[in-house]
Amino acid sequence: MSDTPAIEIEDLRVDYGDFIAVDDLSLTVPSGEVFGLVGPNGAGKTSTFRVLATLIEPTYGGVRINGIDILEQREAAREILGYMPDLAPVPTDLRAWEFLDFYADSHALGNAAARKRRVDECLDIVNLQEKRNSWCRQLSRGQTQRLVLAKTLLHRPRVLILDEPASGLDPLSRRELRHALQALAADGATVLVSSHILSELAEMCSSLCVVNQGKILASGSAEEIRDKLGGADRTLTLTIQGDSLEAIDWLGRQSNVSDLTTLPDASIAFRFRGDDDAQANLVAEMVSSHIRLRALEEKKSSFEEILVEVAEANRTQ
Amino acid sequence: MNPIFRRYCRSRLRPTGLGVSLLITLILAGFIFFLSRTIGIHQIGLEVLDAERIAFIPLLILQGIILFLLGTGQVAGGMTAESDEGVIEYQRLSPMRPLSKVIGYLFGLPVREYAMVFATLPFTAWAVWRGEIPVGAVFQLYAVFFTSAILYHLTGLVAGTVVKNKRWAFLISMGVIFLLYTVIPQIAAFGMPYFKYLTLWPTIEEHLPKFIARDTGAALDVAKSFLDQPRFFNLSFPEAVFSIISQSVLIITFIMMLWRRWRRAESHLLGKAWALGLYAWIQVLILGNVLPLIDAGFAFPSREMSRRFRGSFSNWESWEPEASEALAMSAIYGLFSLLLLWTLTLMVTPSKDGQLRGWRRVRKLGEKRLSATSDAATAFPWVAGMATAGVAGWFLFTRAVIESRWYPGMEMPGIALGSFTLAFFAAGLGFHALIEGQKGRTVGLTAIFLGIVPLLVGAIIAVSGDGLAAPAAWLIGITPLSSTFYAASATLPVADFPIDMARALPRAFWFWQGIGALVAITLVVKLRQSRKAIAKSTLGGSALVEVPEEETSR
Repeated sequence: MSDTPAIEIEDLRVDYGDFIAVDDLSLTVPSGEVFGLVGPNGAGKTSTFRVLATLIEPTYGGVRINGIDILEQREAAREILGYMPDLAPVPTDLRAWEFLDFYADSHALGNAAARKRRVDECLDIVNLQEKRNSWCRQLSRGQTQRLVLAKTLLHRPRVLILDEPASGLDPLSRRELRHALQALAADGATVLVSSHILSELAEMCSSLCVVNQGKILASGSAEEIRDKLGGADRTLTLTIQGDSLEAIDWLGRQSNVSDLTTLPDASIAFRFRGDDDAQANLVAEMVSSHIRLRALEEKKSSFEEILVEVAEANRTQ
Repeated sequence: MNPIFRRYCRSRLRPTGLGVSLLITLILAGFIFFLSRTIGIHQIGLEVLDAERIAFIPLLILQGIILFLLGTGQVAGGMTAESDEGVIEYQRLSPMRPLSKVIGYLFGLPVREYAMVFATLPFTAWAVWRGEIPVGAVFQLYAVFFTSAILYHLTGLVAGTVVKNKRWAFLISMGVIFLLYTVIPQIAAFGMPYFKYLTLWPTIEEHLPKFIARDTGAALDVAKSFLDQPRFFNLSFPEAVFSIISQSVLIITFIMMLWRRWRRAESHLLGKAWALGLYAWIQVLILGNVLPLIDAGFAFPSREMSRRFRGSFSNWESWEPEASEALAMSAIYGLFSLLLLWTLTLMVTPSKDGQLRGWRRVRKLGEKRLSATSDAATAFPWVAGMATAGVAGWFLFTRAVIESRWYPGMEMPGIALGSFTLAFFAAGLGFHALIEGQKGRTVGLTAIFLGIVPLLVGAIIAVSGDGLAAPAAWLIGITPLSSTFYAASATLPVADFPIDMARALPRAFWFWQGIGALVAITLVVKLRQSRKAIAKSTLGGSALVEVPEEETSR
């Protein structure tokens, strides 16, 4: 595998009039990764992807795909790029195989027989062979997504840019998509994929990056992101031996405890803001205060909760 | 085969859709052919050979409706639909060459209409064979027919590329074709015969005697002998050749526009140098075409109208143009040149965002100046160049009319050059500075309140009562749209107005043009300051770039 990163973005900025869609974003994606870009709607994911796909010019910034400066060498970049837009459209007047054959032809993939072979291979990859002769307009949303993914794969791109590819897919299709992307990455392709559902990306990506309001908030593995953005916030549930009122009173005096609730089984649930050390100290102090702690259950915030909180925190800034 | 062409062959030539279209076309063509032939033989009593001929023109009209109207609408609508659906982005990302993409869409989108036209050709071929129509004339006619179709389809492609709404793109492109065959020929009668060469009419007129019954054709041949051949300065051409030359300029320009857009979606439709060259070349084409016609009298509207509507050739010996015709011809030439200047200015002027992007790219590449021809560079010198070419063309045309044999003893006054220059530069550079320096809303409001409202209010005042013509003239003088008429009226010796108008027009012209020039200068100065600020903020205060020598020399 080459040492050159598959994607290098440096100080990327995209403005639409007075609105800043992408704000000095810098990012490096190594070759052979399935890299996820996650963020709420309007975070700047699609604008970033459209720049990477050479469809729009940034206000400024540098972007290299496999070492090719895409702003200076668009045509060269397009030969190694595959882009699948959000809500991927298909023409209404073509059958599935005709749609794929047209783009195979546009990419000069050989004569009719060679194109047919490649079209069939790609239909097999996305498991859509049985819809070969269907009209594009008659495909379901998930089938359309898979058809466009097949189109994106036709010319064997080294870098795949997939904008919300799983939106609208049922769980089975998502699993198939995940397997397909991982297989592509195993073949050496780099896949950059976006979603506004972090858990969805966490399943399929080797690395992630969270963006909001055009800026990167965190990047790394799913666990690293959870620790960075949501590690300070978790829900703890305590079961107290005997009277729990004393424990509730004690917890209520702690500054890093909120949302105290008594559950029907008499256990106490509350939000705790602090890292693992702070949590250990809390438990030790409870014990030294003669609160008879029988059991403790920890539940970290879900990816979605983290994302919502991050988005809301940014919105109120 | 071109992949885009193949794609549309697949989708638009499916047996079901094509079958119905061909059936309707064959029924219509058959009906026209047999009806014409039967009327010729049984109603008019023509010989068989003449009767076979008379289906030729009706068939041509049917072919024109199919290819010009339906084909152009299909091209514009199809292109917009590609954008609407979003699939055009896939095509942007395909590594096909931009020119291949243009050609693929140009011939692919209307492929069914081409098939329909080809289905009618056997009837035409029969009319040519049995009617003994000279093949050379047919060849010339169909050469212009197909170049016209390509020109109109390119118009549709450009409309489909620029206009976001499918319906609007369809209507605009159809509207252009309608105007070409209805309104534009009337403008051609006002000293701009170049425009009629964008249509099929001149070639049809030239060869009409060969396409109709021999008796009528012979009479027309005699009448045609009074007409001159089209000329380009001292060169004479068959109508078909000059039509193809005239259309080629626009065909190449439209292809260039589309090529630029396929290469980079953010590109201006035209490059700055191309726009200037096109503007100058259109001036040369118009002048080269009209100047030889002035002394012969064919450039004057009264003579052309008389020929068209009365078909009279008998009184030509005694015919003379009115003085007001020269004024109208000059004003129309100036107005057309000004409108063309504004259109091209819109195409080549960068937005503020575009300029910013350009400067940032300059910084990234470690350069110190924007290339003057880049999209991001100011269009100022290019607009000034076009304005100069416009003034030159307008002045030469007007001088040729005024100093022609029809107005003995008259000379073009030197002051006319000043008035033409003032009108063109104030309106041209002011407009440019406005669109390059201001936001769209300011430009739109200025266009409405300075361009349209004075004209409308002035027209109402003018017809409100006696003695209000002069105040109306002052009001209408505000709009740059009237400036070419006022410039001609204020300075040409052929102006012949009632006394109050004769006083008001020159005064209103010089007053408003003086104000206009001051406003234009202010806008240009502000624009230069704004560009300086952009350059400084982007390059971190380094030298000002493409802007003015005097600033860089400070």
